[in-house]
Amino acid sequence: MSRRSLFLVALWCVAVVRGAPASPADVLIVADETVIAPLRGNLSDSVATTRASWTFWSGTLAGKSVVLARSEGDPLNAVAVTTLAIRQHAPRLIVTAGIARAHDPELRSGDLVVSEKFAAIDGMVTEHRELGEGSDGATWQKLPHALMTPGETEVYIDSFPADASAAAVALQLQPRSGRTISGVLGSAHQINREADRIAALRALWGTSSEDTESAHVAGCAKLFGIPAVGLRVIDSDPSEVTALTLQFLEAWK
Amino acid sequence: MKRLTFAFFILFSATLRAADPVDVLVQGAEDPEVQEIVAALGPTAEKTTIGPFTFWIGHIGPHRVAVSLTGQAVINCTTSTILGIEEFQPKLIVNQGTSGAQAPYLSLHDIIVGRRALDYGGFVSPVRAPGEGSAPLSWTTLPQQLRDPKTGALLAYPEGFEGDAECIEVALRTRNRMGRVFPGVIGSAHEINLELDRVRWSAQTFGMDVEEMESGHVAALAHAYGIRYIAFRVVSDAPYEGVPFYALAARATALFTVDFLRNLPPLPGTAR
Repeated sequence: MSRRSLFLVALWCVAVVRGAPASPADVLIVADETVIAPLRGNLSDSVATTRASWTFWSGTLAGKSVVLARSEGDPLNAVAVTTLAIRQHAPRLIVTAGIARAHDPELRSGDLVVSEKFAAIDGMVTEHRELGEGSDGATWQKLPHALMTPGETEVYIDSFPADASAAAVALQLQPRSGRTISGVLGSAHQINREADRIAALRALWGTSSEDTESAHVAGCAKLFGIPAVGLRVIDSDPSEVTALTLQFLEAWK
Repeated sequence: MKRLTFAFFILFSATLRAADPVDVLVQGAEDPEVQEIVAALGPTAEKTTIGPFTFWIGHIGPHRVAVSLTGQAVINCTTSTILGIEEFQPKLIVNQGTSGAQAPYLSLHDIIVGRRALDYGGFVSPVRAPGEGSAPLSWTTLPQQLRDPKTGALLAYPEGFEGDAECIEVALRTRNRMGRVFPGVIGSAHEINLELDRVRWSAQTFGMDVEEMESGHVAALAHAYGIRYIAFRVVSDAPYEGVPFYALAARATALFTVDFLRNLPPLPGTAR
């Protein structure tokens, strides 16, 4: 048994003993309501759990025990519901799925970007400028997240890993109209539409696309040592994301 | 080996028990921000870990307290706060630590007591073509949202979340041994802003007195759970005065937090 498996089972034991009605899941899917709602319709033996503002549904989908966590489309809500679902279900894999905007100028509407890795691009630090010298978002430098590790030590990390085997499965998926490409999924509670800033973000972080939660979910997964993979469709209809997520569930073992 | 592993799980599970609730969950992002508070718990404090996060449990004044080392920024503090709430069911959360001044009246070691705290990092920028640059002062803010479990509606909180009125009153009567104390607004994002025009824009747009990386996020989580909340932030850097980050300023807010807890009457429902 690997150290990661040992940790996950231990986490599950903690949840059981400490009163959370835990049942281990194969996959935790974190996505917003537009993606989750159709999946929820196909979930058999569905059980809803609500804690404060966050809800997740457990059941069976594509022959796997699945938890669907509603992210609400921003880092705080996405990390909160991911933490709650991990605590209760100790999943083997976390999938963050949704739509995204392109940073890579080669990407086109309908392309699926599969996580090679994730970058939380909300971190930034500016140079000192006096009053009257203005503000320029294209010159800001990156400030990586420092994830907590056992032993009360934070480790700065530019990007969070994606699970290689899950990403390999995802790279076989067939979007309706676009291509399937491996790339860096960036996330922040931002909608960047200034071309020069997008170019600056891509230069700093190597991002292929931006969305509002994927890297933060991957960071949360890393805190617990759980593998994560991201599926992001560029400027797409959410139903395309739902269809690709189902394809992934059926293909992943 | 399998049998040994199974035995480990059984032993591991058997030695665990549900944590007893605490009155107050006290948070700091970095070691210097929690050291004085952990010391105030006394020699009988218990230490426990959940995932990568550490909690120390003991008493300060009339309160049973869990001190949490959250780590910095939204991923760490959201995860550790959810774990802390679910594990210890606190009646009050105190988030405290260092911050950068956003208003010229503030100096090193001054403490802001959070009248409210908010996430100021969300924005939508207008469309600009290549070569047209980036103009952050023209961006539209994107407030934190939370779903109301009663109505199912997703609600926006552009003003952030108010601090607990009774706690503010007690805090404003508590002495800061190293500086002054003011009520104010605390903004959170994973940012270090040293462009004074943007600092001034943040102060004018959000009413912010200081910026840091956790209070506004934890305020949202506390609001979602209906838990009382207060934040204290000491000024550790002041861009208007050219004061660079001074990590030891954390001691001021940690000592202030200990004194605050000693001044705070027992919370309703606390066993005497």
